[in-house]
Amino acid sequence: MPIHSIVCIKSVVRTAPDGVGRRTPENSELNPFDRPALEAALRIKETLGGTVTVLSMGPPVGVEALAEAQAMGADRAVLVCDAALAGSDTLVTSRVLAAAVQRLSPYDFVFFGTRTSDSDTGQVGPQTATLLAIPFVSGVKQMEPREHAWEITRLMDDWQELWRVNVPAAVSIHPRFYAPRPIALGGIAQAHDQLDVQSWRLADLGIANDRAGLVGSPTRVAKLQKIVRKRTCRMLTGEPREQVEALVEILTAKGVMGS
Amino acid sequence: MSEPFLNAKHRVLRRTVRAFCEQELRPIAAEIDQEARFPWEVMEKMGRLGYFGIQAPQELGGAGLDSLSYAVTIEEISRVSGSIGLCLSVHNSVALYPILAFGSREQHQRWVPGLAAGQKIGAFCLTEPNVGSDASAITATALPEDGKWRVNANKVFVTNGGIADICLIFARTDPSAGRKGISVVVAERGTKGFVVGDLEDLCGMRANPVSSIRLYDCLLPRENLLGRTGQGLAIGLAALDTGRIGIAAQALGIAQAALEEGVRYANQRQQFGVPIGRHQAIQMMIADMATQVDAARLLVYRAAQLKDQGEPVGKAAAQAKLFAAEAACLVTDLAVQIHGGYGYSKAYAVERYYRDARVTRIYEGTSEVHRMVIAREVLAGS
Repeated sequence: MPIHSIVCIKSVVRTAPDGVGRRTPENSELNPFDRPALEAALRIKETLGGTVTVLSMGPPVGVEALAEAQAMGADRAVLVCDAALAGSDTLVTSRVLAAAVQRLSPYDFVFFGTRTSDSDTGQVGPQTATLLAIPFVSGVKQMEPREHAWEITRLMDDWQELWRVNVPAAVSIHPRFYAPRPIALGGIAQAHDQLDVQSWRLADLGIANDRAGLVGSPTRVAKLQKIVRKRTCRMLTGEPREQVEALVEILTAKGVMGS
Repeated sequence: MSEPFLNAKHRVLRRTVRAFCEQELRPIAAEIDQEARFPWEVMEKMGRLGYFGIQAPQELGGAGLDSLSYAVTIEEISRVSGSIGLCLSVHNSVALYPILAFGSREQHQRWVPGLAAGQKIGAFCLTEPNVGSDASAITATALPEDGKWRVNANKVFVTNGGIADICLIFARTDPSAGRKGISVVVAERGTKGFVVGDLEDLCGMRANPVSSIRLYDCLLPRENLLGRTGQGLAIGLAALDTGRIGIAAQALGIAQAALEEGVRYANQRQQFGVPIGRHQAIQMMIADMATQVDAARLLVYRAAQLKDQGEPVGKAAAQAKLFAAEAACLVTDLAVQIHGGYGYSKAYAVERYYRDARVTRIYEGTSEVHRMVIAREVLAGS
């Protein structure tokens, strides 16, 4: 039963010293939370066969993240890239990804990371699944094929849930349970020497320009402000036993230690 | 900052190698140095990931990368562990590369897949107790006998010697022919008469099992000759041209590591009420270190890129090796100075970088030999 997976990935900005994320090749990388998602898809392909397609929306620099995903083992890469996409919020991003996933049909799973390391909304996965009208399971720890459905385990705080899901479905992968494989050097050579990333524009997806970018986005970031936390130092006094007791009390009150 | 010479492939490669080394090598780098231990557990992983066949073609099991990728890879490994950078530089550029460049199709099939996968480790055996910079004076012999080579050799300071499976032995196949009587034969560990000597107790690069390798009346098959008889010195020089890029990249990686530690400490250590990086004396050192590292990097990448473009690389590689090795010694020395007494202690990594850097001015051609090579080319061209 070959499984066709689509993994949605983002090229994230690594550091934004002045609060403005400038996208340059040196400052961009594959979102670290997307790597476990890619790993999960690659493991399914190894066990059951099929294909893994990586899909991204963003400026041309996204090609590098897609090539990195190909170096890890993805078979096909698609970048949705269009000047009209500038300023898109998560809803537009989800609209575009959903249209691209439709164009990649048929598929079994759409994978997402739980969040991105730069904007950290966690919205794109569930929104895309909603627009596609397919089931969505978040924070997935394990995926097992059964006779008539998939059994998908998800983790939430101290609980785990087991879901029976029919494909096509979307999942976001818990980063702790799918440690991404190290990339082999030969994979890097293969991915880059025959760079094969398809580029789609909004028109290819049948989305009008005024439904994308800043004009098509119902939300926009009005202000971005760095929060500086003041570090304080408090000395505990008394005998070591008293100091330890005081420390435990403080840490428990702050929720760092369980009571 | 945009880095000259590098493209998307090199950027992904650098991130990939750095992530691997930080995760796998960083936690053990100090320990393998102190215990003089070769970390098989990590090396096996590196073998599976292509680190032992960086430039070997993919159809022979290699990663199929270019010279610039090779330089970036060795730089990043050496930034964490000079010893492991050394192991892979020697294996890739003076053991595997000559087999690829001068070996027959049969020899490629026989040796390259194992070497490229790290299942076999390569070594380059040129130096003898009384033969260093003057390679033409070697005394080892490989004499034809009943369709075989009878080899007698005493090779010293063999990098990877203690673990090498496939050794390139430079020996005289025609003792009467002087320089033109030197050839390369490949000796495999386990052959009768193949003896690995004691490991050297070295100042730095201690995780690399450097040893002597001796061949006593070792009979090697006729087909173990690499290239033609009499081609030995040409093979050696071609290997060393490539090797220089590797050693230069290694020195660069060590210098980069020392720079990072120097900067970190300068921002953290307080004296006279401020971080020492606020004192001009330390700032002068940091400026010199950063400039040396940048200049070394430009020279190393230029040499690698010339090689990728098929240009003559002798002078550029020699300049890169000379400059990067001298820079590594200067930068690690300054990093120790910034650390003060702590820099002289094994509790801080700069102590290891300082020891590791020193040999880069000596092996695969001393700084003085490189100056000879450079001067010869410059004078001939004028």
